[in-house]
Amino acid sequence: MDNLYDIIIIGGGAAGMAAGVYGGRSRLKTLIIEKGAVGGAAYSTREIANYPGFHAHVSGPALMADFRAHAEKFGVEFTRGEVRELSLEGDPKTIRLKKGPEYQAKSVVLALGTEPRLLGVPGEKEFRGMGVSYCATCDAENFTDCVVAVVGNGDAALEEAVYIAKFAAKVIVIVIHDEGIVDCNKVSAEIAFQHPRLEFVWNSSLAEIKGDEDVSSIVVKNLKTGALTETAVDGVFMYVGLLPMTGVVRDLVETDKNGYIITGDKMETSVSGVYAAGDCRQKYLRQVVTAAADGAVAAHAAGHYIEEFEEYKTMVAGSDQILLAFWSPMNEFSINAIAKAEQISAEYPGKIKLVKIDLYRKQMLARKYNVQTPGTFILLKRETACGTLSTDCYNTLESTLRAWMTR
Amino acid sequence: MAITKLDADSFERNVIEGRGKCLIVFSRQNCHVCAEVVPMLEELAPELASECAFYYVDVEEQASLYKTYPLKGVPSLMFFKDGDYQGKLAGPVTEEQVREKIAAIG
Ligand SMILES: Cc1cc2nc3c(=O)[nH]c(=O)nc-3n(C[C@H](O)[C@H](O)[C@H](O)COP(=O)(O)OP(=O)(O)OC[C@H]3O[C@@H](n4cnc5c(N)ncnc54)[C@H](O)[C@@H]3O)c2cc1C
Repeated sequence: MDNLYDIIIIGGGAAGMAAGVYGGRSRLKTLIIEKGAVGGAAYSTREIANYPGFHAHVSGPALMADFRAHAEKFGVEFTRGEVRELSLEGDPKTIRLKKGPEYQAKSVVLALGTEPRLLGVPGEKEFRGMGVSYCATCDAENFTDCVVAVVGNGDAALEEAVYIAKFAAKVIVIVIHDEGIVDCNKVSAEIAFQHPRLEFVWNSSLAEIKGDEDVSSIVVKNLKTGALTETAVDGVFMYVGLLPMTGVVRDLVETDKNGYIITGDKMETSVSGVYAAGDCRQKYLRQVVTAAADGAVAAHAAGHYIEEFEEYKTMVAGSDQILLAFWSPMNEFSINAIAKAEQISAEYPGKIKLVKIDLYRKQMLARKYNVQTPGTFILLKRETACGTLSTDCYNTLESTLRAWMTR
Repeated sequence: MAITKLDADSFERNVIEGRGKCLIVFSRQNCHVCAEVVPMLEELAPELASECAFYYVDVEEQASLYKTYPLKGVPSLMFFKDGDYQGKLAGPVTEEQVREKIAAIG
C-alpha cells in the first residue's frame, strides 16, 4: 500500500511543515499535501521580524524554504493538490484530492491556515485583480505614483499601508474607529501615523468600489453621520481580517461559529486520530512561531496515537471477547480490582481476553470509550462495547465479571 | 513546464504577430494565489493545446513588458486572438472560468 501513510498533513504552511519535521524525525511515513505555495501565508510575507533566533532580516519565503528543507531532510514527502473530501472516522482515514490519487493515513493533521476575509461590498468581487487586492507583496508595485485605499486597522493593514506608500503617491487608510484608535502593535502604528503619504479617514467604512474595467473610485461611509463620499482611487487593498480555510472539514470535526477548529492541548480534534495545527484552529495568537509549535505538538500526539492504535490492534487480534480494564497507579481500588479481574478470568480459560490500560498514559481507548475513572471495565465483543462497569464495590465487581464470563 | 515562458521579443512574435487564440498568465514569485493558478493552467494546457496556446510571463524578470499593459495585479490572464486583445481575467481564476473564456472567444 504505497498510498498509506502514518501521518498525512493537509496544508504546507509553517504549521504543516513543523508537523512534518516532527513526524519525519520520529521515522513516521509522512506526507504533506499543499494546494498552492509551500510556505502558506508566510510565503507572501516580506519580512518576519519576530521568529525567535532570526534577528537578522529574514523573509517569509526564505524562512519557509528552510522549513521545507528541514522536513525533506527527515524524509517527508510533499505533493501538490487540493483536498476535497475526507473520511476521518475509523482506520485508515481516506483523503481525496480534486484531481489525482486517493491517499490513506493512520492519522491526519489539519494545517489549513486562513484566507483573507472578503468585506462583501459591491464591486469587491468584480474588481478582484483589477485594482482590488489582498496582497501588497504581490501587487503594490502596480500602483506606483497612484492613489490607493487600504481598508482595515490591524497589524496587517497598517504595515502593508506603509509598504504600499513606497510606491503609491498617496495611501488613504479607512478605519472604523474614532480618531487615533487602531488594533495594531504600537511600533507599526507610530510609523504609519507619522508617514507623510498616509492619510487616515476615521469613523468610516468602505461602502462600494466602482470602475469600468479597473477600479476608478470608492464610496466611503461616515459611520457617525451616515454621509457617503466618493473618492477617486486606482486601487483598494483589503485587510479586514481572516477566515479559516476549514470548509472541507466543517461537518467532520468540531469548529467554533467562525469555522476555527476546536482542539485540546494536544491539538486533538473531536475525531480520534485527527489533529489540527496553526492558524486554522481556535487560538489566541496567530503567528509563525505559534503555528510551528502547534505543528510539533500535533505530530507528536499523532505519533503516540498511532503507537497506541497499533498496540490495540495486536491486542484484540484473534480474540472474540475482550475485557478492557482501565487502571491508574494512583488509584488503589483500580489496582486491586484488576488483580481480582485477573483471578476471575483465570477461572474461565479462553473465554475473555483481559487487557489492562493505564488510563493516564494511554488515552486513545479512554477517549474512544469515554472512560474517565480508573476502575472502569468495558466488555468488547468484536470491538463493540457491550458492557460497561464502573464501581468501587468489590462484590458488584465480582458478580458482574462472573456474569460476563458465563454469558 | 507545459507553458512557454515569454520575454519581450518572444511576446511580440508569439502573441502580437501570432495566429489563433492564446492566453498569457502574468505571475510572480511569492504570490500565493499565482502558486495555485499557474499549475492549474499547466495541467489544462496540454488538453486545450490545439485550440489555444498558453504562455507565461514573470513580471519581475519582464518588468517593462508588464508595464506596457494596464494590469493591476498578479495573477492576471490576458487573452488574444490573431494578435488582438480579447479581455482578461485576474485573481483566483478557476479552470472553469478559463475554459469559458477560451470558448467565448470563438
Ligand atoms: C500580511 C501578513 C503579515 C504577517 N506577518 C507576520 C510576522 O511578521 N510574523 C509572524 O510570526 N507571523 C506573521 N503573519 C502570520 C503568519 O503568516 C501565520 O500565522 C502563519 O504563516 C500561519 O501558518 P499556518 O501553517 O497555520 O497556515 P498557512 O500559512 O495559511 O498555511 C496553510 C496552507 O494550507 C493550504 N491548504 C488549505 N486548504 C487546503 C486543502 N483543502 N488542500 C490542500 N492544501 C490546503 C493553503 O494553501 C496554505 O498554504 C503574517 C500574516 C499576514 C497575512
